[in-house]
Amino acid sequence: MTGIHLFVPMLHRRDAVGEHTRSLRDRLVAEGVECRIYIETPDPDTVDETRPYREYEADARPGDVLVYQMATRSDMTAWLKGRPEPVVINYHSITPAEYFIPWNNWIARHQVAATLDLAALAPVAALGIGVSEFDAEELRQAGCADVRVIPVANVRVPPPPPDPEVLATLERATGGPRWLSVGRLAPNKGHEDTLAALFVARATTAPAARLTIVGSPTEQSYARALHRFTGALGLTGAVTFTSRLSDAELSAQYAAADVLVMLSAHEGFGVPLLEAMCHGLPVVAYASGAVPEVVGGAGVLLDERGPRRVADEVAALLADDDRREALVAAGRDRPAALGLDRAASDLVAALRGVAEGTTGPSGDATATTAAGAPVRP
Amino acid sequence: MVSEPDAGSTVTGDGDEDGVTVDPRDALPADERALLEAFDRLRPQGTLRWNFDDAVRRLTEPPVMPGRSAPWGGLPADLWERGRGTRASERVLGDVVKIVAQELAEYTDQAVEESRGLSDQSVAEFRHATLDAIRFLSSRVDRLEAALDPLGIEAGELALPVVDASAWAERAAAWAGARGDLPAVVGELGTDELVTRVADAGVTVDAVDPRGAVVWAATASLTERPDPGSAGTTVTMAEVVDHLRTLPADSRGCVILSGCVDRAGLPGKVELVDESVRVLARGGTLVLLATDQGAWDAALDPVGRDLLPGRPLHPEAWQTVLTHRGVPGSVWLTAPSGTVHAVVAEVGR
Repeated sequence: MTGIHLFVPMLHRRDAVGEHTRSLRDRLVAEGVECRIYIETPDPDTVDETRPYREYEADARPGDVLVYQMATRSDMTAWLKGRPEPVVINYHSITPAEYFIPWNNWIARHQVAATLDLAALAPVAALGIGVSEFDAEELRQAGCADVRVIPVANVRVPPPPPDPEVLATLERATGGPRWLSVGRLAPNKGHEDTLAALFVARATTAPAARLTIVGSPTEQSYARALHRFTGALGLTGAVTFTSRLSDAELSAQYAAADVLVMLSAHEGFGVPLLEAMCHGLPVVAYASGAVPEVVGGAGVLLDERGPRRVADEVAALLADDDRREALVAAGRDRPAALGLDRAASDLVAALRGVAEGTTGPSGDATATTAAGAPVRP
Repeated sequence: MVSEPDAGSTVTGDGDEDGVTVDPRDALPADERALLEAFDRLRPQGTLRWNFDDAVRRLTEPPVMPGRSAPWGGLPADLWERGRGTRASERVLGDVVKIVAQELAEYTDQAVEESRGLSDQSVAEFRHATLDAIRFLSSRVDRLEAALDPLGIEAGELALPVVDASAWAERAAAWAGARGDLPAVVGELGTDELVTRVADAGVTVDAVDPRGAVVWAATASLTERPDPGSAGTTVTMAEVVDHLRTLPADSRGCVILSGCVDRAGLPGKVELVDESVRVLARGGTLVLLATDQGAWDAALDPVGRDLLPGRPLHPEAWQTVLTHRGVPGSVWLTAPSGTVHAVVAEVGR
């Protein structure tokens, strides 16, 4: 085996796919595997860690395995499909276009194209790795013959210590219960439902409740609408929007909060759920996508997102010490239950399996494509 | 109740039975639905900006799905008439863009025709020049919009005085009842008394207010009364002028406006009048409940006093505005009590 190389359209810091890719790269290199990250579009923050994907053509060596970190549309897909090396799809879910159409048709078109990319690449992939069973099922539906579930490799257990200055500032602030929501300002994240629930909570059970939303704007028109909605609801002084936090600053946010509220309509995994659990923060989440399998029994799962229902559930949870402590205790066990502690090693083993002609640690060498043909050597 | 979703629960939360998509919001109480629908109205789809951005991207960027259909339904027939944003600045500039874009389209058609005899290089240069012109136009509009409304303050952010129009409640019920066969718009809500009195008179009320707290309280009080009065009463969370813009022409028997008529700037005031006149049926009544200027200034906190685009007009000034907008013969009525004047006009005489 010569190398296992990672391909991602753009490598972002403080991004679930980006951090997963970097973690996997670090693990592979630590195990003595040659590994480089190839990208389509450079990000100034990570440009020194990446190379344009076309340069791989000069770098290619027999026995290489190419791992595509797939979550969006990219020209890489057609290029990867044409490569002779075995290709592994490490799939992080494609947000359906319907969430973006009302905000940005350009992104919506890209999401539709991404599903076409997946349908084109999945049948010829040597292996599909979903970060959740929810994602794995999408891979199967797309025609991927050999699919397994290995969670993301970038959740730090135990979490990094909180920034003491930020934590002290947050804890000095007076007021009622502090809700936290972590996730990009993207239309599938349902931040408007969290705002509406906070509004109802303040009008009913918790007049001084506050909310911090941590997330960079993916779609500016959606972000602007969130700010306008916040103003129209009279929540300007009760809601804080923040982004681009360091790991320690984000830890401080988790440490200072009373509850994580996550009402995403579509989640392929849900890293903030586990980050919250690692910090001992109780979780109230809408049961969409992969959220139920990630939360397990360690959080409050909602089957609808009506603002009154969310507000009531948060109030009930915060008022019930025994229940909250039981959920927090269960949450601390979730990373191990999900296999996060061995995610990186499982990924490396699975990729080594592809490189060595098997499909992973089980030694199953009989993997076939959807059409029944043997995987490419 | 906390529950695990069953295996059939959908990612989007949408139900789908027998091919009929069920919106889970339909099951929510009216006050909760009003909040969430207010956010939906902030989605830009169908606006000039959304269509413009998408069109320019289609022109300037390679297609992401060559040869495949996109979730693009084409230009709506009423493109130039709808969804022009929620602020006066966007509406005015939307009209500017409309004119320039229409002229540009005509010019482009003409130029393409003329370019048939030119070389490919000339055509390419022309195309680039046209796209540059569109980009510069877009940037100029962005800057103008930002300059006209640099803060984007929402009504809900300000401690606006509650307009107590209860002294007019009985008269308002009578004005609305004159064309009680049609719904009456009441915007904004102030105290609930005016709205409830009109509803109790058997008139369907179409109530609207941009402030979440006001809508939340009004929805509860209107829909949870033991005797809810007229059927079909709704409360919408939106700027009044935006709500009026969504209504069909000649569809309302009475429009009663307060609050918004005080705090809007003059262009906003005029648009409120124009939209009200448009939605009123022949013989319908326009009622402007204008706060006395002295009372308004005394009730407003310094932030609102400094940052609101407008302040109340004197009733005589309102009469002048109405005359200029094609509504002559309005009547100024002094408040029987309180600090709110009424300027009343029957339209379509």
